[in-house]
Amino acid sequence: MAQTEKKAGLLRRTSSSKKPLKEKVLLMYEDIFTKEDPTKSNPRFWDELFLMKVNLEHLEGKLEALDGDEVVKIRDNINSLFHHCVQALAEEHQIKVVNALQTLCALFRGVHQKNKSATGFDIINMLMGFDKAELRMKELMESLDSLLCGDGSESLKSLCLKLLLCLVTVTDNISQNTILEYVMINSIFEAILQILSDVSSRARHGYDAVVLLALLVNYRKYESVNPYIVKLSIVDDEPTLDGLGRVIHHALAEYNRQYKEKEEENQGGFFSTLTSMVGSMFIADADEKLSVQTNEAILLALYEAVHLNRNFITVLAQSHPEIDIATAPAVPIPASPTTPLGTTPPSLDMMNNPELPLDPNLQTSNLLITFLKYSSIVMQDTKDEHRLNSARLCLIILTCIAEDQYADAFLHDDNMNFRVNLHRMPMRHRKKAVDKSIPSRPLVCAVLDLMVEFIVTHMMKEFPMDLYVRCVQIIHKLICYQKKCRVRIHYTWRELWSALINLLKFLLSNETSLLSKHNIFQLALQVVNLFNMFITYGDTFLPTPSSYDELYYEIIRMHQVFDNLYCMVLRVSANAGPWKEPASKVTQALVNARAIINHFNPKIESYATVNHISQLSEDQVLEVVRTNYDTLTLKLQDGLDQFERYSEQPREAGFFKELVRSISLNVRKNVSLSTMSQDVLLKEFSSIS
Amino acid sequence: MGDTELELSPAQLEELQQSPSASSNSSTSSLSLPSSPSSGTRPLTSSSPSTSEGLPTSSPPLDVISEGVGELSLVIDTEVAKKACQEVLQKVKFLKADGEVSSASSEPVLVNGTAHPESTDGGKPPKISQEEAEPVKNVRRRQKNNSSKQSWLLRLFESKLFDISMAISYLYNSKEPGVQAYIGNRLFSFRNEEVDFYLPQLLNMYIHMDEDVGDAIKPYVVYRCRQSINFSLQCAWLLGAYSSDMHISTQRHSRGTKLRKLILSDELKPSSQRIRREVPQPPPSCPPPLHHGQGMSEHSLSPSKRTHQRSKSDATVSISLSSNLKRTASNPKVETSQDEDLSSSSDSLTLEAGTPVRLTPQREFIKSLMGIGKRLATLPTKEQKTQRLISELSLLNHKLPARVWLPTAAFDHHVVRVPHTQAVVLNSKDKAPYLIYVEVLECENFETSSVPVRIPETRIRSTRSVENLPDCGITPDQRASSFSTVPIYDNDDEAWSVDDIGELQVELPEIHTNSYDNISQFSVDSITSQESKEPIFIAAGDIRRRLSEQLAHTPTTFKRDPEDPSAVALKEPWQEKVRRIREGSPYGHLPNWRLLSVIVKCGDDLRQELLAYQVLKQLQIIWEQERVPLWIKPYKILVISSDSGMIEPVVNAVSIHQVKKQSQLLLLDYFRQEHGDYNTEEFLTAQRNFVQSCAGYCLICYLLQVKDRHNGNILLDSEGHIIHIDFGFILSSSPRNLGFETSAFKLTSEFVDVMGGLDGDMFNYYKMLMLQGLIAARKHMEKVIQIVEIMQQGSQLPCFHGSSTIRNLKERFHMNLTEEQLQVLVEQMVDGSMRSITTKLYDGFQYLTNGIM
Repeated sequence: MAQTEKKAGLLRRTSSSKKPLKEKVLLMYEDIFTKEDPTKSNPRFWDELFLMKVNLEHLEGKLEALDGDEVVKIRDNINSLFHHCVQALAEEHQIKVVNALQTLCALFRGVHQKNKSATGFDIINMLMGFDKAELRMKELMESLDSLLCGDGSESLKSLCLKLLLCLVTVTDNISQNTILEYVMINSIFEAILQILSDVSSRARHGYDAVVLLALLVNYRKYESVNPYIVKLSIVDDEPTLDGLGRVIHHALAEYNRQYKEKEEENQGGFFSTLTSMVGSMFIADADEKLSVQTNEAILLALYEAVHLNRNFITVLAQSHPEIDIATAPAVPIPASPTTPLGTTPPSLDMMNNPELPLDPNLQTSNLLITFLKYSSIVMQDTKDEHRLNSARLCLIILTCIAEDQYADAFLHDDNMNFRVNLHRMPMRHRKKAVDKSIPSRPLVCAVLDLMVEFIVTHMMKEFPMDLYVRCVQIIHKLICYQKKCRVRIHYTWRELWSALINLLKFLLSNETSLLSKHNIFQLALQVVNLFNMFITYGDTFLPTPSSYDELYYEIIRMHQVFDNLYCMVLRVSANAGPWKEPASKVTQALVNARAIINHFNPKIESYATVNHISQLSEDQVLEVVRTNYDTLTLKLQDGLDQFERYSEQPREAGFFKELVRSISLNVRKNVSLSTMSQDVLLKEFSSIS
Repeated sequence: MGDTELELSPAQLEELQQSPSASSNSSTSSLSLPSSPSSGTRPLTSSSPSTSEGLPTSSPPLDVISEGVGELSLVIDTEVAKKACQEVLQKVKFLKADGEVSSASSEPVLVNGTAHPESTDGGKPPKISQEEAEPVKNVRRRQKNNSSKQSWLLRLFESKLFDISMAISYLYNSKEPGVQAYIGNRLFSFRNEEVDFYLPQLLNMYIHMDEDVGDAIKPYVVYRCRQSINFSLQCAWLLGAYSSDMHISTQRHSRGTKLRKLILSDELKPSSQRIRREVPQPPPSCPPPLHHGQGMSEHSLSPSKRTHQRSKSDATVSISLSSNLKRTASNPKVETSQDEDLSSSSDSLTLEAGTPVRLTPQREFIKSLMGIGKRLATLPTKEQKTQRLISELSLLNHKLPARVWLPTAAFDHHVVRVPHTQAVVLNSKDKAPYLIYVEVLECENFETSSVPVRIPETRIRSTRSVENLPDCGITPDQRASSFSTVPIYDNDDEAWSVDDIGELQVELPEIHTNSYDNISQFSVDSITSQESKEPIFIAAGDIRRRLSEQLAHTPTTFKRDPEDPSAVALKEPWQEKVRRIREGSPYGHLPNWRLLSVIVKCGDDLRQELLAYQVLKQLQIIWEQERVPLWIKPYKILVISSDSGMIEPVVNAVSIHQVKKQSQLLLLDYFRQEHGDYNTEEFLTAQRNFVQSCAGYCLICYLLQVKDRHNGNILLDSEGHIIHIDFGFILSSSPRNLGFETSAFKLTSEFVDVMGGLDGDMFNYYKMLMLQGLIAARKHMEKVIQIVEIMQQGSQLPCFHGSSTIRNLKERFHMNLTEEQLQVLVEQMVDGSMRSITTKLYDGFQYLTNGIM
């Protein structure tokens, strides 16, 4: 009681007097930064310290300001401070716990700030002392674990996660953060899982927990044993995985919602036509960018879950109702990802509480749909590096999904039909699709739509070759599945064909500029081989005989593209040079397309002359095609239905390193903001105690 | 438990005290006494240590009967109680003597005696059998005291001819408490299934008839409730449903409600003795390898062996342990079985703590299904409903497997999975009935066999996870095991039923990638073809031809229609559906895997449906007995409350409406399309089936006055049978009372065409079948009437509207007509129905209002 009063008094003094130097806590910090043991003058020094409100900036500043010699001298005191912080975590008095957590945060950050160049071992030595480090960190992690898993205050849990995020992101490159070695040994994975599996804690802390998990998984991913990877890969508890999925779902859905709101705002405006011409200009808004960046962490988590955990795939298809944004914009959805998820009801106590929100406007959605929508937004603009990275990551995730048997099964499930409103980039030459007209189809149609959309909208000077390759690979993987399992989806393949042909056309017309940077023949080969899939294996997965005719029609109609491509690759392969071989591969792959063109074109011409028609209608061409199949011979290409499975290492390792670095920076920035405003927290506890 | 007993026995004494004092020595008074037979011995044994300790172990099943009575809690007069006890003692002695003398009377005693020893142990059996014999004795006494008529009655009761139907009839008609009590006791001697058929009647009598009937029935119900969870729940549901017509104030205090509460409170759990006896010994020949402690541990290995879980269990035991623990903490149902095993092995005291689980899983399961139905009803379009249904069911899957089952099934099982994407919303205007398929594992006994272990959806998949963990502390051989998914399922493992040649094809390159091999892109096939360097040529025409051929070869399926999602689902042949779902199921490889289906109805009163089912079933039995080849298909009904329930779907059948809408053909042409041309054997078989079923249902429609006979309510199965569904309008009720459908039954010219026209042999056969069927039904009219009549008690169902329902029903059997006259009647009815404009008119009306063709 007396303590509370004292503390309250302190608080009042800080807030009213505005003379920070007189704060007792600062004086006590001074004591720490002397060579003397502070307990000599005041035996209850540590007890008292943790009753004071932490002054993070000051403490951090102090640590940063130290120079080399001083550090060595006061090392004992800092070790001691660290030690007592850890001890204070076990205190019953929650104010002490809060203060200890924040002090630790300042310690980690300050020491790192100071010693940017120093090795991890120096930092550990300075914070804890080598001999004690293992023990201290064990104690720390155990305390954090029990705080996170216990029934204690939610704010306290939140602070624990902040501390962990702070610790994980103190270095730009997570793998250089040697302290994390102790986090590897003393795993808090179980605590994270528990947060995700519990409905209420997931709602409050899910976001932080997921980001933390995503980061921890990336610690020395390629160099050493990361137990978090092992553990994440074997989680099979459905409520937990579902919880993870819901956190990701919520974050992505929230972004989609904000985006859509802005888009609608803009469209209503005076300059709506102008803005739509320029494209999604408003995306450049600062806060918009921020949310893209924070979502990188969530995307990374999604990637790790999909990539590492075989059971997570089921979660992708786990449908749950989603608030239809169009009809319910008034529903206040908290912008902060840490606020309760509210809209996504818990699945775990389904039996006990079978109430899902009873709203006829609720659209059923699932993580995959939300992810596809999100991807469609992110892919619109890839000029900005963050967005390019996000788009790349989206495509990588889709690659993993397209490779997965189970995922393919539900993507193609005829009984699971959804309307997926993908965002389409406003372009001059096409109208914005009317949302309502989208039919309810198997999910694979939405994936293909997204790929087609990407193909037609990114033929630009800064050609994202890498994304195109991934995009075509995803289509290829899906078609391989369809061929293997004889699934015939009712998809308008024609759109895909024409998109692919246009892509070839673009490659041709920008040959010189593109060749300086990219191997366009690889992409061209993939595209041509996709056509070979359709031509030679079409019988196994095309929906109708007439769709096979249409394929021929499309090839014949665009025969010039194939002709030109053939000329180009022939020319390049004739010359010695780096492109000789890839170009000649394309030449071989073009055999069938050329056979079709050479076979049918004369027939169509003669049909036209016989019937005295200058311009044949589509039906007439199709008629010619249908009657002349039998005299055409095609060559079966090798390995059309084989693909290289995705593997992160070594090809993508660099990308992920950079990505994790950027996420780290971003998280660090955001965490520092939120830890500063802990007044609320303190008030909460002062009223409790 | 002990408390209640102590509380109760005084009340029972009171009962004893009442009966002699109330009506001196008249025969009826002594007859009323045994209505609570256990009361006789209870005060006697109360002095014995076992009862005074209040051990639940010693409680015979009948003791709870008195709980209802106990609530009266009257003051006991010890004097009177003593007197009563003495009287009972005397009676017992008398009975013994009597039993020795008359061998006839000892027969039921024995029967009862064998029915009971399960619940009693040690020295008790003799006493118990005495108790139960008491009513018999009373009958005997009455037989001595009363007229000879009763002795004839007793002879009948004890004869072999006396069946459950008669028992129900006498229970209902007799006003003699003694007779009722005797029959109440006699119920124990019938086979469970026989009595189960009349359960609605028994419970309706219990609710709505006088005390004596109730008292006679209660011991049996309580006894059966103790034996079976399924029976308990059925009773509870039916009691709730049949009490619902009572006024709310009386309902709350009615005996039906009390019994329902008693059952749901789960006081009627089996006494611990039984559990001890039954549980520890594993069910002898349970097909799955998974039951009980041993089985569980075995099983936890077996499904995981081929998957990544193996490396999990090996590599990181601690993690898997902790995650397992979490699973069980968050999903107590998985643990249920283990709980029970534990409790059974431990003291009976711990059992009490564990037992609330007994009824809960199933009740929760049903509640979830009903909840889904309620929420679906709020959605405007079929498409939304379907999507929502799928998503809700996928959530439900999280909780499975559990100790839940479909009560409509004929065998014991546990539900393991609901293939949620297969579920469909059925056609209904404002309600949202839906059809789900349910994967179950057959088991010996769903109460004692342990619940199957959950197998994750993605059980067979490539394990990418490990390949990316270069040095995760997993030993090389473990890693190897996780790569080669195939060789790992060693001898002890079940073969998996999955088409994994394809899987391998994708698997192979993966191994190559790992070794960073150049040829990783090519499968083995392509490598060989490359080596041969012989280019393969194919004709474009062949590809095109194959494409059209393959599409043509797919069997006649219905087109997917978002407004009628059930049509496609129902058209698919059942066997094919089973095969398809089995392939996609993680449980499909288990030998005891079965697929069931059920229609969940929410917001519909199925009590009439149940009544119709009973009548249909009874007629089916009668016709079978009389060897009349009429074909009908009674489908099982589960009444859960007065506005919800489940229906067993008729498999391989679609409604005639769907047939016509999808095929756009006349019925006859559809028959030819499905079964072949006129003179093929298949067509003729289908035609015969059609005629036999048509005759059967025409009779049903006539006898029960089934209305609302539009084509959406008549199904056609793949063998040509028609099946009428939806008995919402029967007997005295008719839709909107518009006076449509005045004809005896529905017979359209399309139907007649399928039968080969008016002059055909088949049409004559049809009429002959009807006549035979009517004659047979008439012979056993009482059995049919009885079912309906008892259900009329206390019922507000529209089918009982008016006062003449039963009389009219009886009249339709035309007891007074000669067979020749009956034949004329049949002719008239057929003619009338065919000429009936109202049938056509009604179809037109339905088309206008509901879009049903």
